[in-house]
Amino acid sequence: MKFLQLTLLLLFNFALVQAQTKITGVLKSTKGTPIANANILLKNTYDGTSTDSIGRFAFSTTETGLKTLLFSALNFETDSVAVDLKNNGLTLNLIIKPSINLLETVSISAGYFIAGEGKKGAVLTALDIATTAGSNADVFAALQTLPGAQTSFSESGLFVRGGAASETKTYFDGMLLKSPFNPTVPDQASRGRLSAFLFKGTSFSAGGYSAQYGQALSSALILESTDLPEKTTTGISVLSVGAGVDQNIRFKNSALTIGGSYYNLRPTFNLIKQQNNYIKAPEQLSGSIQYKHKIAENGMFKFYATYGKTELALYQDNIDQPMLPNYFSNSNKNIYINSTYKEYLNTQWKLDAGFSYNKDSNNGLMSADNYTRTDQLTNGKLTLTNYFGTLSNLKFGAETFHTGRTEGLNNLEHGYTDQISSGFAESDLFLTNKLVLRVGVRAEYSSYLAKYNLAPRTSLGLKTGINSQVSFAYGRFYQNPEDEYLIVKRLNFELADHYILKYEINTSDRNFRIEGYYKDYSHLTKENPGSLDNSGNGYAKGLELFWRDKKTINNGDYYISYSYLDTKRNFRDFPAIATPSFAARHTVSAVYKHFIETIKTQVGATYTFASGRPYVNPNNSVYLGDRTKSFNNLSLTVSHLTHIFKQFTVLYLNANNVTGFNNVYGYAYSRDGLSRRAILPSSKRNLIVGILMTIGDNTFVR
Amino acid sequence: MKNLTKSIILLLVLISFSSYAQTGNEKFRTGVKKGLEMISTARSSEDFLKMSNYFERIAQAETKEWLPPYYAAYGNLFAGLSISDKTLQDQYFDKAMVQIEQADARNAENSEVNALKGYIQFMKMSIDPQARLSLMGAAATSLGKAKALNPENPRIYLITGQNTFYTPEAFGGGKAKAKPILENAVAKFAIFKPASDIAPMWGAERAKFLLTQCN
Repeated sequence: MKFLQLTLLLLFNFALVQAQTKITGVLKSTKGTPIANANILLKNTYDGTSTDSIGRFAFSTTETGLKTLLFSALNFETDSVAVDLKNNGLTLNLIIKPSINLLETVSISAGYFIAGEGKKGAVLTALDIATTAGSNADVFAALQTLPGAQTSFSESGLFVRGGAASETKTYFDGMLLKSPFNPTVPDQASRGRLSAFLFKGTSFSAGGYSAQYGQALSSALILESTDLPEKTTTGISVLSVGAGVDQNIRFKNSALTIGGSYYNLRPTFNLIKQQNNYIKAPEQLSGSIQYKHKIAENGMFKFYATYGKTELALYQDNIDQPMLPNYFSNSNKNIYINSTYKEYLNTQWKLDAGFSYNKDSNNGLMSADNYTRTDQLTNGKLTLTNYFGTLSNLKFGAETFHTGRTEGLNNLEHGYTDQISSGFAESDLFLTNKLVLRVGVRAEYSSYLAKYNLAPRTSLGLKTGINSQVSFAYGRFYQNPEDEYLIVKRLNFELADHYILKYEINTSDRNFRIEGYYKDYSHLTKENPGSLDNSGNGYAKGLELFWRDKKTINNGDYYISYSYLDTKRNFRDFPAIATPSFAARHTVSAVYKHFIETIKTQVGATYTFASGRPYVNPNNSVYLGDRTKSFNNLSLTVSHLTHIFKQFTVLYLNANNVTGFNNVYGYAYSRDGLSRRAILPSSKRNLIVGILMTIGDNTFVR
Repeated sequence: MKNLTKSIILLLVLISFSSYAQTGNEKFRTGVKKGLEMISTARSSEDFLKMSNYFERIAQAETKEWLPPYYAAYGNLFAGLSISDKTLQDQYFDKAMVQIEQADARNAENSEVNALKGYIQFMKMSIDPQARLSLMGAAATSLGKAKALNPENPRIYLITGQNTFYTPEAFGGGKAKAKPILENAVAKFAIFKPASDIAPMWGAERAKFLLTQCN
């Protein structure tokens, strides 16, 4: 029995040795809010617990001595305290700091519309661009539904906040793209050359953009190409306007894509009456090759090259001599090469290097005159980014443009070349996660103009709530005058100052933005009788609204944008300051998309309204004093998803101006001012149907 | 009698001693088993978070084991699936992603880890399908990898079948397409032998339930 007593005593002693320390307490945020479901634990042990709904915790441990108590919670920084465990109770009042939640962090936003997968603040995805009714998957057409951009139909490109189309520049992976459009016929817009599906992200900046982007006076369209495709697939598209095929071949760390397409608008033009009398409907043959290679964990090499050849010829009404319509023909060859390399050298440094080459050659007849025109641009760029602090960074780099044009008329040729060298530096400073300041500067030297410029840019963002933000931007932007003027004379840089103020509320399903701006233009190119100079100037001011809602209507998604624009300029051949013909005072776009699951079909509609645009009436003493009637357009698109031969297939239909609004873009007057010709859309209505098939992937991923 | 008493006492001492001084391996096994009991009784999002926290604690103590971060990821995934707030869901899934990557780093080329990763990626995609289409491909890639590593893992077919089940027919999914995959999952579950009593063995009931929904 003694032994038993001894053992019990031993056991008791043993239990004493193993005595537990009870740790209790409460966890609160720095603001005093109790934190639920936080993890409380003793480092390197299993001991710990989760906090309850009012932040309380209690657990026991057999550990003794000096230990570290860790505490962590979602959206808070993990923290620790040293605890001395001495077999008695311990009560802790813990405070935890909020972590930087990227979704709730302020961003550089003034002037920007970001489109892309999973991007913060993204309002349009690449798929959105492709499925916007009326856009026919053209990036530029889709962006015209966003605030700031005008509906442009008689000239290619984006007219942004009172700027001419030549003031919006396109950047492909950071490299300037000089000729992004298909050949244009007089008074008609043409589509962009690059497919929306080449890009994973599109940032459309209506002003105040980064110092990384030069030679753009009004707006920057920043296109970011996709990374490695997931699988080896074949894409086939057969449209009423042509056909294309592309083959993706996926290797372990790289991918090769080879594509070709042939477009001929003749069948469509035979069915749909065209404004112009085509002798040869536009016909295009093009091919492209793309290679992407992921190098180790942190590097990516991309190469893209495309070549296209287009032919067209037509007669256009001649208002001065109706019996002698103007003949116009164009044969175009376009080559574009873009190659970039990006590498995260370590956690602090990133390197970006790029090279691009673009040559666009045109020749043909204008009435009886033989014309030629060749534009070329070689662009090289090197950028280093240093990341510091939690979110801040410093970017700096150098860029070179070798650009020029050669023009000929009846074998008389002239041209110019310019070497623009530039350097830039920019820093995004996150003063807190609610306040960011961007300061940047860009300097350029043009050998042809023999002039320097220095452009400071700054942007400020302040988070005013979990989902809301106020932004401000100021920037100075320089651009060389257009080639057609440079070829005649060495001028000076054109200049614009942008001031932007924006307020936005973004949730995962809804976006609201209101943005106001003022732009001051100076040194614009002016054609005075017999001479060219930089005495032009102007201003633009406006207010824009954007509302997108993906939540209210089940399977439905809509956005509405409104732009108010007040602008006047004295440039080009204007005799006085006036609102240019490309500027409508009010523009409204409403875009709706609805997926009907039972019939596997997405339907979409886009309605656009623009108030009347100015046109020159030589009989009116006020220059650009007349206004066209307002513009209205309702376009519809239907995409039916199905399988043909077991392959994923989309049947596609896009109908423009279904209700047949009679739209007039402006008027061209005869020399005597007695008769005029309305500038009309290429056709009143337009229809495209097609089949897009993906082989090698049974889901809609490409 | 004395001897018997002695033996019993000795046994008791031994038991009590062993419970305080388990060998590392046993401690780990018992620890994970306790967590698995928490999984079996978890109903609410909060239950899953508590269970995930529990495994997170083991994960930081046992820095070489892949099961704790695997189950911690599982907990966050199910914590997200048990609520409807998309913002919060997204945060839980993000945390699950971090934890499954941790499991992957501890045991690369593991079929179970890749299968669960495919599940999380698909659920992340489903929060905003239009904007996150590329995650659909990423989920398919993870599940493909899981299958290449161990085609007998029934959870691959459960997750693939489930992803197919919830993908609209128009996008290559639907009940009809999910059915044969889920039938395969049920068949594989029937013959599946987990590597140990703490290895992943969840999903058989879910597969059967989803299969009944296919008709």
